[in-house]
Amino acid sequence: MSYYDIDSILTDAQKLPCTFELEVPGLGILEGNPGEDIKPGTRIDLPLWLGEMLSIGARLGTSRLVTLDMPSALSERVMNALKADPRTVDLRSLAPHFYSLGERILELFEEEELVDVLMETFKKRAAEVSDQAHNPRGAVGDGVDFLRGLDETERQLFRAAHDRAKEMRVWSGEAKRK
Amino acid sequence: MAFPLPRGITPSEIGFLAEMEMVTVVPRQRLEGLELLGGPIEPLVPPRRASLPLWLALLLKRQRRANIMPPSWLHPEPLNLILEVESQHPDYRDAFSPPPPLPGQPSIRDDGLAPTARPQYTPDGNRYYASPPFLPQNTAQTEGFSSRDPPALPFHWVEMGNMLLESASDDLVEPDQIRRLLKDLREVRLAKMRAGTDVLDAAATGGGGVALTGVGAMEVGEERGFLTGVVDNLRKIGASKEQARREQMAEQRANGGYDGAQDEEEEDYMEF
Repeated sequence: MSYYDIDSILTDAQKLPCTFELEVPGLGILEGNPGEDIKPGTRIDLPLWLGEMLSIGARLGTSRLVTLDMPSALSERVMNALKADPRTVDLRSLAPHFYSLGERILELFEEEELVDVLMETFKKRAAEVSDQAHNPRGAVGDGVDFLRGLDETERQLFRAAHDRAKEMRVWSGEAKRK
Repeated sequence: MAFPLPRGITPSEIGFLAEMEMVTVVPRQRLEGLELLGGPIEPLVPPRRASLPLWLALLLKRQRRANIMPPSWLHPEPLNLILEVESQHPDYRDAFSPPPPLPGQPSIRDDGLAPTARPQYTPDGNRYYASPPFLPQNTAQTEGFSSRDPPALPFHWVEMGNMLLESASDDLVEPDQIRRLLKDLREVRLAKMRAGTDVLDAAATGGGGVALTGVGAMEVGEERGFLTGVVDNLRKIGASKEQARREQMAEQRANGGYDGAQDEEEEDYMEF
């Protein structure tokens, strides 16, 4: 992930539920009340980068400003759905950068089970992505619902596999060069 | 990314590399020996067979100055046999059919024989051991291989088969059947490659590996983007777990895994 990587920037912008622990004067703008103070215990969705910065106080030994919660995309309910059948879950509607979000969250929380579920999900879905990418009819037909639910990482994977398969067909003369 | 092409090499580049492979031709016209960058080639005298690089052979073939003898594996029977091994043999359900043996390597049939590598000598007298890109695997009779060796697909089988079918199909035995067999083989092997995705996480985190023995150049080129993408992402997702594992190992080491002073404690512990 490089500094200018647009996907990593977009990952940073994904919302994370945070609970304020302290009263913060003048920060009501986050809640939609400009000029007001933020009361302890307020729950607001903050972007990942901001939430991460505010919660970091705990590591420095001072009392932390906010506590982070699991984003809804990685909630228990979603994990159960992924455990049941990874292929039917529409990851894109949960979070456009689902796996990158997962990686960032795993840096903040220690969740052994989440790692396993995500890895298993990614593997199962990658196999399906590969199948769809080699489908010479393109992204039409049965796979269309599955492909719509791919997150950005999986889309890149799909593109890599699909382009390669297509180049091969062009080279071997099975398909016409456009 | 500023560079517009994807990582890895494109099919036409792989095809270009495959054109260095030596094939056997039967010339129809005389030709003086040529001094090529890749080495001199023997003079062509009509009824006598000669080994030429594929690109030159294809050129002469297009000019109708030579006929190409198909490589020993590019016949319907060997391809049928390989396809059978590939799709039905229980040992090769998840593995690819083995590549042709190296010179001196014992064939699969005499199991347990130690390999006896036979060195070759450069014109300057230096010893070297030839390895796949520089072995004649596509000539009509491959010297150094006994005929008892089972047929095997060489490294450049996709490219070789494709180019010969395209420009020299009249030299092949039953080209249509060969075309069908090659297509079937490709599909069987692609399916295996895809099934291999399941074990990739072991390769990504646990230091395991995925066997790709016998996979051809074109197949590697085709799957490179996908497989590296999968491994890369699995590694990223598993990063925190890996970190935890390393910390645990470091802790164990700090607690005296390799420390002489604490060895006794370790041993006591081991006895329980």
